[in-house]
Amino acid sequence: MSWIKEGDLNLLEKISANVLKAGPMPKHVAFIMDGNRRFARKKNMERQEGHMQGFNKLAETLRWCKHLNIPEVTVYAFSIENFKRTKEEVDGLMELAKQKFERLLEERDNLEKHGVCIRVLGDLNMLPLDLQELIAKAVVTTRAHNKCFLNVCFAYTSRYEITNAVREMAWGVEQGLIKASDVSESLLSECLYSNNSPNPDLLIRTSGEVRLSDFLLWQTSHSCLVFQSVLWPEYSFWNLCEAILQYQLNHKSIQKARELHQEHQALQQLEADRACVAEHLQHHGNGKPADAQRRQEALLHYTACREDRVQDFLEALKHKRNSFFSDLCSKPVLA
Amino acid sequence: MALLYGLLWRLLLLLVHVNTALVSWLRVRLRSWKGRLWERAVAALLLPVALAGFPDQHKKLNHNPDATANPVTGNRDDGRRARWLSDGKALEKLPVHVGLLVAEEEPSYSDVANLVVWCMAVGISYVSVYDNHGIFRKNNSRLLEEILRQQNLLGVDGSKYSIEFLSNGSDKHNVVSCRPTVKVLSPEDGKQSIVQAAQQICRSVENKERSSKDISVSMLDVLLRESKNIPDPDLVLKFGPVNSTLGFLPWHIRLTEFISLPSHRDVSYDNMLDALQRYASCQQRLGQ
Repeated sequence: MSWIKEGDLNLLEKISANVLKAGPMPKHVAFIMDGNRRFARKKNMERQEGHMQGFNKLAETLRWCKHLNIPEVTVYAFSIENFKRTKEEVDGLMELAKQKFERLLEERDNLEKHGVCIRVLGDLNMLPLDLQELIAKAVVTTRAHNKCFLNVCFAYTSRYEITNAVREMAWGVEQGLIKASDVSESLLSECLYSNNSPNPDLLIRTSGEVRLSDFLLWQTSHSCLVFQSVLWPEYSFWNLCEAILQYQLNHKSIQKARELHQEHQALQQLEADRACVAEHLQHHGNGKPADAQRRQEALLHYTACREDRVQDFLEALKHKRNSFFSDLCSKPVLA
Repeated sequence: MALLYGLLWRLLLLLVHVNTALVSWLRVRLRSWKGRLWERAVAALLLPVALAGFPDQHKKLNHNPDATANPVTGNRDDGRRARWLSDGKALEKLPVHVGLLVAEEEPSYSDVANLVVWCMAVGISYVSVYDNHGIFRKNNSRLLEEILRQQNLLGVDGSKYSIEFLSNGSDKHNVVSCRPTVKVLSPEDGKQSIVQAAQQICRSVENKERSSKDISVSMLDVLLRESKNIPDPDLVLKFGPVNSTLGFLPWHIRLTEFISLPSHRDVSYDNMLDALQRYASCQQRLGQ
């Protein structure tokens, strides 16, 4: 089954969509697509069939998001914790993923037409090599598209992602690109797998569970969380509208909290820069305390240098990540 | 056309707010009214509320009729304490660490203190209190005073239930006690702690004490636990209408259950117990 479902909304759906769009709309929605196996049990079908239905629901949800002008969607497809499942189930899921990515590559013209950019986030080296190669091809093929974005979290947990970001920063320090004192909240955010996306505005989890299960813990600290009891394969357009309405009700207060946090972050950065400058002046000064103007100049200079360093480091990181995918692509894809 | 949709949207929001207000009013009334007809009427009204996203409210209405009938066995306080302890033991599972996330403006110290004392009395070992403005942290001593006061008021025996107050900041407090512990948290304990741990690691890499390849999830986890030394929260009770974690301990909440309550003001013991009962019935599959 296809990744892209064509078709318009019906009249009632269109009207509701227009009413919702009159208010603030999320630009990035994240889904924890939970409930496939429970759905399969409920309908007396095989587990694998439940996962297939789950994938179809994903395609449909993307169509609704397109009509609601939501340009970016992130989904939790496979957690590192899911490797603990039976070998049969894990192999089944890997096989499903392979089929889907192969299908995606077949549809590349359609993807180009709709401007869909696919990104896969996670510790991809945990996956079988042939799946890695397919993923790499999908990512590289759609890299330049920029109308809508689908981020698939595969072999992902938030803690691994954060740890990886710290590792990357440590790598930057080893390479002499940045200093340990350059490590900040915004730099860490830039080193996450999701660095090309803004933080999700809305996180939806289906099937009634009320936890985050190690998904985007850093990125969703100021997102609207909506827990819905419907099972993922039974998700409807109205469930999505319900979630968006919740987002709209919470919008102002979350916005305020976000702004407060950003102000605080900026202050932290300023304090950190000041501390570095003070230390520098102490070591390289002539013993006399520097006057306010000199301190200010030094601060501006230090901040500019730090930002340049960080930019160079991020370029190097981007290059490293792109190479990872390009290298996988240059290997012949197994039929 | 756009104007029409704008108006319709405002109308929709208004309807949702009216519905929410109506239901909260009814909820208060229902505490004294247990008529079946009343319950059915409220259930019918709740459908739109469910659409507005307050799924927890209808569970609140499953009012426990025994709640008001306290077994008065001699000393009233003893009865209450015994009841709280037995309530805790009756639950299928009790969280070891509960986070109280107050997502409301102008927190009420006495209500929060009540919640803390009840949690301890029911048998919960660790309680964290959080708000995203850092108000509790700034007024740490006031909150702790209030908790001690509530402890005395509720007749909770000081020596048995003495609470260990973990001080904040960078001091590495080694808690090896089995006494209930209260910790007051603020946004600095969230992302900022992760950044500090990252800086520490990068500094050791800078000093060639370790390599970037050595960095693992458990390394980061140990660092983030060192200054807190308490287990991850099993449950977070969120008070207030805002549906967000508002920066609460991002690293530690990976498996935390979130249960929302409408407000912490005038919250009752039964509200809290309801939430704990909900927690007891949830199943964690841990990826499997």
